Amino acid sequence: MTLLSVSGLNVSINEEVILKDVEFIIDQGEVFGFVGESGSGKSMTALALMNLLPKGSDRTGQIILDGKNLIDLSEREMCSIRGRDIGMIFQEPMTALNPVMTIGNQVAETLIIHGGYSRSEAMTIAREKLARVEMPPNRFSPDLYPHEISGGQRQRVCIALAIALRPKILIADEPTTALDVSTQAQILDLLKLLVKEEQMSLLFITHDLAVIARMADRVAVMQTGRIVEMETTRELFQDMKHDYSKKLFAASNYIPETKTKTGGGSFLEVSDVYRAYKLPNRRILDKQNYNVAIRGVSFSIRKGESLGLVGESGCGKSTLSRTILGLDPLQKGRITVDGVEVISGRKMPHTLRKKMQVVFQDPFGSFNPRHKVGRLVAEPFHLLAESLSASEQRERVVTALLEVGLRETDVDKYIHEFSGGQRQRIAIARAMVIKPDLVILDEAVSALDVSIRAQILDLLNELQVQHNLSYLFISHDLTVVRAVTDRVLVMQGGKIIEEGRTDRIFDHPQHDYTKRLLQASPRIPTEWVTKETNQGYHTGKLSEKEFR
Amino acid sequence: MLHYLLSRIISLLLSLAVASLVIFFVIEIIPGDPASFMLGLNASPETIASLKAELGLDQTPLIRYFDWVSGLVVGDFGISYTYKVPISELVVDRIQVSLPLALYALLLSTAIAFPVGLIAASKRGGTADFGIMGFTQLGIAVPNFWFAMLLVLFFAINLRWFSAGGFSGWDAGFWYGIKSLTLPAIALALTQASILARVMRSALIDTLSQDYIRTARAKGLSQRRVLIKHALRNAMIPVLTILGLQFSFLLAGAIIIENVFFLPGLGRLIFQAIIQRDLIVVESVVMLMVFAVIVVNFLVDLTYAMVDPRLRRSG
Repeated sequence: MTLLSVSGLNVSINEEVILKDVEFIIDQGEVFGFVGESGSGKSMTALALMNLLPKGSDRTGQIILDGKNLIDLSEREMCSIRGRDIGMIFQEPMTALNPVMTIGNQVAETLIIHGGYSRSEAMTIAREKLARVEMPPNRFSPDLYPHEISGGQRQRVCIALAIALRPKILIADEPTTALDVSTQAQILDLLKLLVKEEQMSLLFITHDLAVIARMADRVAVMQTGRIVEMETTRELFQDMKHDYSKKLFAASNYIPETKTKTGGGSFLEVSDVYRAYKLPNRRILDKQNYNVAIRGVSFSIRKGESLGLVGESGCGKSTLSRTILGLDPLQKGRITVDGVEVISGRKMPHTLRKKMQVVFQDPFGSFNPRHKVGRLVAEPFHLLAESLSASEQRERVVTALLEVGLRETDVDKYIHEFSGGQRQRIAIARAMVIKPDLVILDEAVSALDVSIRAQILDLLNELQVQHNLSYLFISHDLTVVRAVTDRVLVMQGGKIIEEGRTDRIFDHPQHDYTKRLLQASPRIPTEWVTKETNQGYHTGKLSEKEFR
Repeated sequence: MLHYLLSRIISLLLSLAVASLVIFFVIEIIPGDPASFMLGLNASPETIASLKAELGLDQTPLIRYFDWVSGLVVGDFGISYTYKVPISELVVDRIQVSLPLALYALLLSTAIAFPVGLIAASKRGGTADFGIMGFTQLGIAVPNFWFAMLLVLFFAINLRWFSAGGFSGWDAGFWYGIKSLTLPAIALALTQASILARVMRSALIDTLSQDYIRTARAKGLSQRRVLIKHALRNAMIPVLTILGLQFSFLLAGAIIIENVFFLPGLGRLIFQAIIQRDLIVVESVVMLMVFAVIVVNFLVDLTYAMVDPRLRRSG
């Protein structure tokens, strides 16, 4: 039975067309998926259903829920639909809850505002709903504040408040994108279970094809505000018709061409490294407590090698990369680069710093927005022994930009003039400009869309071959790590619990934790991956035109 | 929470100790000695010597410091040199004007700023917001003594609703006292309300763009309810900070307004004491004001913790 039917939905924001003629139907109890890259209009579709579009938006068409056209409803009538007939959860559980309200109150609020419940009744139901999302009151008091629970638990609270009134349809907009693989798996399972037991429909939005394959009954692929293909999930994956779907699919499984490596001796040696942070004391005279972030980690990277580092958030990945770069002092152990010991702080010699560079996750946050690209990329020049003249500097910056696929004229632009993928190219250019030997890629491709990610992986691959670079590739995304690394370290609780060749770890994991991690990582069922869908995109490099 | 409270109290006591030391020793290092400074250039050596003995200046600074502080603790501030009365009496008289005036002005400013800030934030970019931003800009730019004179001209001289100045005292009745403080309070509140409304507006706009506001809207809360129930409390931290600063300022910084309206407040007391070189009064009243500022900040810190649960556990 049809629950929601959307037809001819057009949305524009300040005259700019955002959604064009969107049309789909969701049946009762169905899980309907929206997949597409950023800017394709997935979230805007959800917000259009809720009438929560940003200021200056214009919405036409039909959104029929239970026989009512939501477009005709007043804001007041919409308020009574939101939360009661349509529930919604969002991407960022860390910030999605009001920090000054207890979780119990936030769940109860949904019940109170839609009337019919007194405060105490609402609190009783809120307790039940929290138990429903596996946050039972005996373990998680409803009086807790959001900062006292983890990201996954916060997302559970968000789900509880969205389903408190058993809405007919639940909209989940990238609900697990910000979570670890194992937490993601739990939340996805929970959502599936709730949909089934409460007989809700679910509109599930994600950029991740593997997640949608696991969740949805039917899928719509979106591109620049239009639905380009809509099928049952199995059919879509087995027989993709639209070019864009094929491209998207290929890009998300993208493996750069195998490279011929020059190889070489050990470059970075990390031996028995130990790092702990002081914790704030709860009481003034308490004994000092420590959070041990890394405990006795040893490994090495050879010249020209890509080493992957995987593990959940808080396992010590980032602390490890900071200590290697000399940004954080060591308490025990030794790190050497090309035989020279890394010392944190000002004492670290420039010649050593010059050999290591880093690329972070957020391409926008890691640049000063008031400097032009030329100056941003030139930043590491102070590490060079000889000072360069202005023209030499410019020449080297331009070379680096060309090498990452940007243009000479980009030197005089500001960072906001570039797209996310281009910004990451600039970050790579900045790292490459002083010709380092080791580049630490700290979640460097995690925030990128799959097609952009494929291009960046290609670029990294090419640069590695050209300059015989070593990479330390830190990521929570196991698919990518598998695609680009030679060896992998698996980290848990500050320790390396498994280490070995990438194919060996992924195909025959030994440690339980690694097994669990791999199990939790969403994958497209192998029988769905046909030869045809896996070809086309993958054969060569992407043309320049495609990302401009 | 107990830990937070304890750490705030310790910080309060430390601040007071440091402030008293600084005030005492700044006066101590004035060239020559306090007695000759107070008596001026033409004083004879005999008068200076007798004043020195009277003030106990023949003792070591450390002993005098402890005498002074222990006096302060029990409310004995010493005797004013010019008025020849205990300073505590002077202060009590003056505080009866200054404290109600400061509270009155603060109340007015809050009562104006909160709704105005709320309206501006909820109608962001609209005509109301535009008008409010313009008016508050003007409110900050206009000097308060000039505004005070306009008030006197209009309400006291033309309409004769209020007296042009002076303070009747509280003996004549509560409303009588309030009436004579009304014009000065309005004059003081204008700037404060303008600042507070702007802080309120920007804090609210900040919180309105947060993710949890979107969550609340998705639950079915109306725009207005979201503003009151979710945004307001989260926007309180910057607003409370400004409120605390404003109260401290109003308590001591009303000198000009007190002069315009001939009010016998603390500001005028300290102003006159400085002119008359009555160092003992200056020292004690400054200490009292520092005490008030530190206590207000302590209270602001406590309200922070009430507003934001995340602050309760850290020290």
